[in-house]
Amino acid sequence: MNAVDASDHFDKPSHEQSPALLTIILDTNPAAWSLLSSTLPFSSAIANLLVFLNAHLAANYANKVAVIASHCDKATWLYPSPTDQKPPPPSSDRNKRSDLSESAKRLRLSNQNGLTTVDLDIKPDPDSASAEAETGNKYRPFRLVEEELLRNLTRLLSSTTAEAVSRSPTTMIAGALTLALSNINREAIAHAESLIGVATASTAAADPSTAAVSSATEATSNSNSLQSRILLVSVSPSTDLAHQYIPIMNAIFACQRLSIPIDVLQLPLPSLTTQPQQQQPNKPSTNTAAATASSSPSPSQPSSSNSTVFLQQAADATHGIFIAAQLPSASASSSSSSSTTTQASQAFLAYLLASLLPPPSTRSAHLILPTRIDVDFRAACFCHRNVVSIGFVCSICLSIFCSVPENGDCLTCGTHLSVGRYGARPVVVARKSKKKHHTASGGKATGQNHTA
Amino acid sequence: MADTTLHSWEYLETLPGTQFYRLYRSPASALAIFRKRLTSLAKSFVMMLLYMPAPLPVKQLELLVKDSSRGEREYAIDLLHRYHIFKDVTYSGVKAYALTPDFARSLRRALTGAGDTRSFGKVATHVPGDQKGTITQLDEYAQQRWEGILGYMVGSSSILLETPSTERQAAMQPSLGVIELLKAGHLIELSGTYSRGQSAKITKEGFAFVLQDINTQIWALLFLYVDNAEVFEMDKVDVLSFLFFISSLELGLAYSTTPLDDTQQRCLSDLVAFGIVYQPMRDDGTPVDYFYPTRLATTLTSDSSTALSTTNTTIGTSLSTSSSSSPTSANTGATKGFIVVETNYRLYAYTSSPLQIALLSLFVNLRSRHPNLVTGKMSKSSVQRAIRAGITADQIISYLTSHAHPQMRRHAQAEQSRNSDHARVVPILPATILDQIHLWQLERDRMTTTPGFLLKDFPNHADYEAPCRYADEIGVLVWKNDKKRMFFVNRIEGVRAFMAERRANAQA
Repeated sequence: MNAVDASDHFDKPSHEQSPALLTIILDTNPAAWSLLSSTLPFSSAIANLLVFLNAHLAANYANKVAVIASHCDKATWLYPSPTDQKPPPPSSDRNKRSDLSESAKRLRLSNQNGLTTVDLDIKPDPDSASAEAETGNKYRPFRLVEEELLRNLTRLLSSTTAEAVSRSPTTMIAGALTLALSNINREAIAHAESLIGVATASTAAADPSTAAVSSATEATSNSNSLQSRILLVSVSPSTDLAHQYIPIMNAIFACQRLSIPIDVLQLPLPSLTTQPQQQQPNKPSTNTAAATASSSPSPSQPSSSNSTVFLQQAADATHGIFIAAQLPSASASSSSSSSTTTQASQAFLAYLLASLLPPPSTRSAHLILPTRIDVDFRAACFCHRNVVSIGFVCSICLSIFCSVPENGDCLTCGTHLSVGRYGARPVVVARKSKKKHHTASGGKATGQNHTA
Repeated sequence: MADTTLHSWEYLETLPGTQFYRLYRSPASALAIFRKRLTSLAKSFVMMLLYMPAPLPVKQLELLVKDSSRGEREYAIDLLHRYHIFKDVTYSGVKAYALTPDFARSLRRALTGAGDTRSFGKVATHVPGDQKGTITQLDEYAQQRWEGILGYMVGSSSILLETPSTERQAAMQPSLGVIELLKAGHLIELSGTYSRGQSAKITKEGFAFVLQDINTQIWALLFLYVDNAEVFEMDKVDVLSFLFFISSLELGLAYSTTPLDDTQQRCLSDLVAFGIVYQPMRDDGTPVDYFYPTRLATTLTSDSSTALSTTNTTIGTSLSTSSSSSPTSANTGATKGFIVVETNYRLYAYTSSPLQIALLSLFVNLRSRHPNLVTGKMSKSSVQRAIRAGITADQIISYLTSHAHPQMRRHAQAEQSRNSDHARVVPILPATILDQIHLWQLERDRMTTTPGFLLKDFPNHADYEAPCRYADEIGVLVWKNDKKRMFFVNRIEGVRAFMAERRANAQA
C-alpha cells in the first residue's frame, strides 16, 4: 500500500554521524614560509588553521584532531603533545623572534627580490591563557587545543637553529606521514575497543566507551568506525621531496590500504606563481640551492608545475583531494600589502572550510569536490633521486633507476641484470620481409621445413 | 514515535523566527544547534557559507552535490530553513542562500573566541581543595538523581514488584517540581492528596519514556520544562539558551555562578533537581557560588552514539548496580551491559536493581531471581501485554540492544567479521528475536498514523506527476495513487515551494 516508507529516512540523518579523526600535517619549513610571508604570513595561516580545527571539532562531539609539524629537520607533534613531554620552557616570544629573524636575514640575503621578510612570530592570544579561561569566551575544548598547539609550535620554532634551517632545506613529510599513520592506528583501535566494550574497568569511567546503538539495524560496523583522514598543508617546493621518495610512497600505500584519504593543500610560493617560466633560474637563488639544483629535473623533462609531484600521487591514490591554492599575490595586485595578506588568509580559510572540511563519508556519498585529473605520475629514481618519467626497472625488486646501474647490478637487491643490447640500433629488416613476401607462393615447402 | 505529549526537538522547530534570532545571539546556542540538529551535509553547507563574503547562488550549491543525493540536499536545506539558519535572498538577480546574520556571527564567535559574550562559562577559581568534586562523584550524583526520577515513576506502577527494601532509599525522592513536571507531561497520574501518601500511576507515555535512552529522556523532560517555563515567569528563549550554555561546559570543572542572571539562577536550581548540575550546599543550607555540570549535562548536545552511550552506560548501568550498592556488584558496574538474550527467547539479566527488574518485567515473564541474576522468557503474551501498555517493539528492541551483555556484542562483532558481505549488518540481538518481536507487534497493531498533507484534484497527469516525483526525491512522499492523482506527504514546505515555482515558470 505504501509507495515509499520515508519515515526512517527523515528520522535518521542527524544520528548517523560517526566520529572523525582529522590529522593535519603542517609544513613548517621556515625557508618556504619566509617566501610566503608577503602574501600569507605564518601567523595568519596558523590562525586560520585553528579556525578550521575548531570547525572540525564543532561538527561532532566525538571528533578528534591531531597536528604534526613537518619541520625542516624533523617531524614533531604539535597536538596532542607527546606524553613524555617536559613542561614548556619559559621561552618568550621575544627570544624566538630574534632567533628566527637571524635565519630570516640569511634567507633575505639569498633571496632574489630581497623584499620578503620572515614574519614567523605567532600572535600571542589577546588575553593570556589564564585570563581567558576565566572569562569563558571560548568553548573550552577549542581553547585547550589552541593553547597546546601554540605552545608546542612556539617551542619548536624557538628551538630551531639557523644552521638547521640552512642545512636541510626541505621538509620531513615522510616522517610526519608515518607519525600520523601510527596515531591513526592507535586511535582506531581504541575506538573499536570502546565500541565493543572491552575497555578495562579502570578506564571505564573516563573513556568514551560505548555500547549502545539506538537500534540494531543502525549498527553497521562501517559507519561506526573512526573515520580518519590526513590533511597536508604543503609549502615546500616540488622536487625537494625526491630523496624521501621511498618512505613517502610506503606511507601512501599504507593509507591506500587503510582507506585513509590524504588531502593536500599546496600553497604556491610567490616567485613561482608569478613567473612560472622562470622556475629553473629562480630555484638556485633560494637558500635551498645546493641540494635542489642537484636533484632538479633535467631541462628535457616536461616542466612540472610547482605543485609537488608525489603529493599529487598521494591524493590520487588515496582518493583524497589535491588543491593547488591560488592566493592573491602581492606583486600581482597594486593594493597595499596588508590588504593582500587579508585576502590571502581569507582565501586560505575558504579553501579549508569549503573543500577540506566535510568528513570522508559525506564527501564520497554526497559532494562533488575538486579533484585533479592531470596527476603527475612520475617517480624518483633510487640511484640519484631524479624525478623521471622513463627509467629502468629492476625485474626482481622493481627498483627504479634513471640510468643503467654499474655492471648492471641492481643497487637494491644486488641481482645482476642483463640489459641485453640496450642502446643498439634497431636492425632494419625491410629487405628480408620483402623477400619473404616474394616467396610466399612456394610457401608449402618452407613450412614443412620449419616443422621438421 | 510521534508522541504528542512528549516534546522533542520538533518542539524547537515550532518557535517563531524572532525567537530563533534571540536564541542565536549566544554562541553556545548556535554551536549546540549546529552540532546537534544538522546533518553532516547541512554542516558542510554552513561551514562553506560561514566565511563567504557574498550569498551563495542556489545553482552553485546544487553543483556541489551529486545528483544521486538530491534528497539529502533538499532535506539539509529544508532543515536549515526550519532552524532559521539559511535564508533566501536575491543576490545580483539570482536566488541565493545566505546565513542569517545572528547565527553566522555567533558561530564565528564560537569558533574564534572573539567578542565578550562569556558564552562558555566562567571557571570558578576559588573552590576549596577539599571540596573539589571528582568525575566519579559527579556521575554518582547524577545517577542518584536520575534514578530517583525513574524509580519514582516506575516504582509507582502497579505491575511492578513490590520491593519495599532499604535499597530504595539510596535513590533520592524527586523534588516536588519534578513531580509536577512529570504530571504536566502526562507521564504519571497522581491520585489522592499530597498529605495522605499520594499515589502516582505511570501512564502509557510514561512507559514509553522510561524505556528510551537517557539522552532522549532528559531532552523530553527539559522540553517539558521549557514549555512550562512561562508558568514560572521565565522566558522560553532564556531558558533554552541557558540549557545550551550548560551543555557546552566541561565535565569535572567547577563554574562560577556570579555571571548568571536571575532567570539563569532559577534554572540552575531546577537543573540541580534533575541531576544535570551539581551545586554543593553550604552548612547553612544556601548553595555555594559555583556548580559542576554532570555527565548528563555535558553530553546533552553530543551527537555521536559513542558519547551518548557513555552516558547510558555510566549512568544506566549504575542504575542497575549502584542502587544495590553492595560491594559484590562493584565488578558488574565496570561491565557495560547485563542482558543476554538467547534464540529460544530466554533472557538472563545480570542485575539486582529493582528498577531494571521492573523494566524487564514489563515485557518478560520473569522466572527466577538470584542474588545478581534474573532469568525469564519472552513470550507472545508478555510482549503483547507490553504493547497494550503503549510500548512499541522498537523500544523493547532498543532497550535490549543498548543493555546487551558485552559477550553478545563480541559475538555479533565476530559474526560480522566472518561475514564476507560487509554490507549486511549482524545485529546484536538474535535475528529471530528481532523479527518475532516485530511480528507480535504487527499482530495487534496494524495501523500507523502519519500526520501530513493530502494533495489531490490535479487537472492533468503532468501536473500530478512532477510534484509527486519531486516529493519522492526529497523523501517526504508517504503514499500515492496514480489513478486517482492523489499523493500524501508528511512535510508540505518543500513541495509547496516546488509547485509555486512550477506554476510561476508555466505562466512566464
